[in-house]
Amino acid sequence: MIWFLTIVLPLLAAILAASLPAGRRWTGLIFVSATMPALWLGLVEVSGVSAQWFLLEGHFSLDTPRRIILLLTGILWAAAGLFTGSYLKDDARRGEFSFYFGAAMAGNFGLLISAEVASFYTFFALMTFSSYGLVIHTRTPSARQAARIYVVMAIIGELFLITALYLAVQSSGSMLLADIPPALAEAPNGPFIFLLGLIGFGVKVGAIPLYFWLPLAHPAAPAPASAVLSGAMIKAGLVGWMHLAPVGLVEWSSMSLLMVSLGFAAALGAAIYGLTQVDPKTNLAYSSISQMGVMTVLLGIGLYGGIPAGLLLPAIALYAFNHGTAKALLFMGTALPAKIGGSWRILMWAGLGIGVLAIAGGPLTGGLWTKYLVKTFLGESSLPGAKTFLLLLTLSAVTTTLLLSRFLHLLHKIKAPSGNVSPAFLLPWVLLLLAGGWWTMSPALLPTELMSYITKEKGIMAFFWNLFTNWSALWPITTGAIVMAFTLKFAFFNRWPAKKPLLPPGDFLHIIIMLGNLFAKLLQKAISLLDSGMKSLQGPEKIFYRLSDDKRTSQISASAESLLRRWEFAGIGFFIFFLTLFLLLR
Amino acid sequence: METTSILPLLILISSLIPGTLIMLLREDQVPLRTFLNLLGAVAKVGLVGWVFAGYMRGEEYSFIFNLALDLTFALRVDQLGLFFAALSSVLWLVTTLYAIGYLEGGQHRRRFFAFFSFCVTASTGIALSGNVVTFFIFYEFLTLSTYPLVVHRGTDKAVEAGRTYLWYTIGGGTVLFLGVVGLFVTAGPIYFGQTEIIEGLISTHSTQLTILFFIMLTGLAVKAAIFPLHGWLPVSMVAPAPVSALLHAVAVVKAGAFGIVRLVYDVYGIRIADQMNLLTPLAIFAAFTIVYGSVRALFQDDFKKRLAFSTVSQLSYIALGVAIVGFLSTTGAVVHLVHQGIMKITMFFAAGNIAETYGYSKISQLNGIGRRMPLTMGAFTIAVFGMIGLPPVAGFVSKWYLGLGAVEAGSYWVVLVLLASSALNAAYFLPIVYRAWFCEPDQEAVPLLSSGRLETKALLLIPVVVTGLLSLAAGVFAAVAGSPLSIAREIAEKLYMP
Repeated sequence: MIWFLTIVLPLLAAILAASLPAGRRWTGLIFVSATMPALWLGLVEVSGVSAQWFLLEGHFSLDTPRRIILLLTGILWAAAGLFTGSYLKDDARRGEFSFYFGAAMAGNFGLLISAEVASFYTFFALMTFSSYGLVIHTRTPSARQAARIYVVMAIIGELFLITALYLAVQSSGSMLLADIPPALAEAPNGPFIFLLGLIGFGVKVGAIPLYFWLPLAHPAAPAPASAVLSGAMIKAGLVGWMHLAPVGLVEWSSMSLLMVSLGFAAALGAAIYGLTQVDPKTNLAYSSISQMGVMTVLLGIGLYGGIPAGLLLPAIALYAFNHGTAKALLFMGTALPAKIGGSWRILMWAGLGIGVLAIAGGPLTGGLWTKYLVKTFLGESSLPGAKTFLLLLTLSAVTTTLLLSRFLHLLHKIKAPSGNVSPAFLLPWVLLLLAGGWWTMSPALLPTELMSYITKEKGIMAFFWNLFTNWSALWPITTGAIVMAFTLKFAFFNRWPAKKPLLPPGDFLHIIIMLGNLFAKLLQKAISLLDSGMKSLQGPEKIFYRLSDDKRTSQISASAESLLRRWEFAGIGFFIFFLTLFLLLR
Repeated sequence: METTSILPLLILISSLIPGTLIMLLREDQVPLRTFLNLLGAVAKVGLVGWVFAGYMRGEEYSFIFNLALDLTFALRVDQLGLFFAALSSVLWLVTTLYAIGYLEGGQHRRRFFAFFSFCVTASTGIALSGNVVTFFIFYEFLTLSTYPLVVHRGTDKAVEAGRTYLWYTIGGGTVLFLGVVGLFVTAGPIYFGQTEIIEGLISTHSTQLTILFFIMLTGLAVKAAIFPLHGWLPVSMVAPAPVSALLHAVAVVKAGAFGIVRLVYDVYGIRIADQMNLLTPLAIFAAFTIVYGSVRALFQDDFKKRLAFSTVSQLSYIALGVAIVGFLSTTGAVVHLVHQGIMKITMFFAAGNIAETYGYSKISQLNGIGRRMPLTMGAFTIAVFGMIGLPPVAGFVSKWYLGLGAVEAGSYWVVLVLLASSALNAAYFLPIVYRAWFCEPDQEAVPLLSSGRLETKALLLIPVVVTGLLSLAAGVFAAVAGSPLSIAREIAEKLYMP
């Protein structure tokens, strides 16, 4: 029952909240209550169910990594839903937004609890296409363009995805997702199938080179929608990868190196490119690409072999959890400086600071946990060049700090409102801060296996102690912060763009568009040529027209028509025909 | 060997008699006409349901009558036929409701509804035909009874479209006739399912049978709108919306597709057809049509014309599925007979509603129409996602089976065709959805109909909502016993039983 409620309640909430008359404040509460089953499933282990009547026979169950991500997703949708209630209170399109919001929520929960291919694909599509409505919400020209690029990329992703699923199901001979990784490990075309999935889900993850829609689409949506897009929905692609990846079963060295290199390219490249931006939300979007890069690296390590899936996948999920909560905190935070005044601003800055630290992997946050996990796995893997990669990881902490401290600086420039506070805005945000903080700091989510793996023989207390006195994690962050402070302080070094981004958001999308326009022009010429050719010929079908245009044929058919036009004649004819038939048949 | 039963005949008569009676009524006897229409439609659905239940219990129904020596008129109930009959009867009921609403106050309604009934008689006749000759009789009957519907409006354009329609279909009928006669001469009377007859002749008459196969296929391909014989379909969209809906979903085009299914599975048999390499040309033409139809659809601004080219493309899914050997692709092909029907009829209903309510027939006029007609466009949007092949709509199920079937058979190029078609479907349908929901209307539109509180007349609104929900339900509940998919699976299973 709870499995179905997880999906059905958000759908009901979508309809209910969309049909609420304007001015009612219930929207937030409706969405929060719709996330309850998902939160329950995230916290409590419930045995799976099968629904023989659903699609091509549905199955719903959870494993440890997906339960961690479901918990994350539930928390984010609850917080964002509550936030929506106050954020969009006066928005004319509040109803429409609620509809797409609820539908995307149902899709996001559904894909996480699906254990078989058809329902997974269904909910993935539901989420993808519903969030189109979130991206285009403001209806500004830039939002429209972002939404268009988003949907084109989404469809391309879906096409790769469905191909991967066709081939995967064919080679595993089963619709269950859990059967896919072993089958891919065995199949001769396993790496090819995985590559298709890597591309298909890579669009959602924002992997290089498929990410360019992301810095446009995520910031275009209203703040609560950006929060779930960048915190929760982006993880759906990661979950998809984890469903396909035969971690611990294979040694696909080239695939592994490909993923690790692309991951690091994203981790560093996106963070640096993001520095050229002036919109805080675009800044955050680039940070998301960069962080998803780190998760790509982790999964890539798994394909090199040696690390069992039972250890690696929960670790990836934990990383996703930490990044998701912190990123959603920051995205919703972009709406706060213009709304929060007075002494509440201290709380706001403290929360934002914690969020930034958590993403960068600073001490006293869950980020340190998860960065530590990456380091451990990277250090112990037999991947060639692991030392270099470790260095790159440290470097990425520096760039992330730079990027996010610049984000704080951009927020800082937003003027505080003169009026007083509206706690309605702060409440969901603080709740998210607390929930995210609690679960990333405590080892509650860690499966015991992973726990004993990282604490070794030292025991949990020593591990904690180490975690909070691990100053080696501090220096990259301090470096980043000092560089940013320095460049901001001294006018000579302060070359940061202020009004217009130094380079356009969506980077190499613009090159694609340029090439695309050129191609389109050529295509148009070809089509107009073809069209004029068609007009004179109209292909084989024109033979019939020619026949029918002929004078004599038209005369014949005209006289035939006049005969047929006597409907009474025809009707009675039919009647007599069938009456005789009937009498004869008797 | 057969128990004779009047039931299959009753299924036909349930629309034939009302049709004939309507012909004899006066134009202004509206209530009586409506009553007859609905009575026939409901009776037909009931009868098909009755026969279905009986068939499931293991009863056999057939009705055989000798026209001449060896030439028999045979109606026989089998699963595939019932499947098609169920589609026809249910959609006829819905379309009748729609047509009553659509033509309210129009002219020549007596003529219209009479031929409308004949048209459905013909298509259920095609479904229940037990042998090739009976099939042919109803196939031609269908051609004649749809012509008056195509030219119903009586405008120059309609008459011209009717002429094109006749040229194509009579031409196709003639070719089919040649094939049927040839088959009769070569192999004698063939009942559907008696594939052993052809199997026995294969060693001695291989060339003749190959030629006959392609002759009959050509005849059928006209109605199934396979390139290059599809030209009549986009032209005849000048017909009133309920006619287009019926034409594109159940009656004419489906008769062609159903004929191809019968020809390959029940006359030649899939094994023989595969052995003789008859299927590769069909696959190639079907695949080409899928892409060609979609590309042509991209460039149409006329709403119904775009839908028409989309039909050209979607129908060939059936032919493509038939042309690939394997349980999965057969399931996909058979189930698409129904799925394409319910989705496309939804689209034509929606187009008709918009044209009737606001007078818009161009896609460029549809900005913001979703706000004004949310239920109509909601149903349309569901159908669009189905056509693209996105779950949980019916079209996904068809495409899933076709794709898996292609992979199973090792025909990877078919997967590419399916992908290209999905992308093109998205490219020509999503802009409509985008305009409807996300664009502001250009001008303040005044509805032509005063519809009260509903967005349009109730009789126009109910059918589109019903078929839209059916398209969704056929996907969401695909695994339930009694769903189109489950029946299609049974049909395919029987076909591939050793």
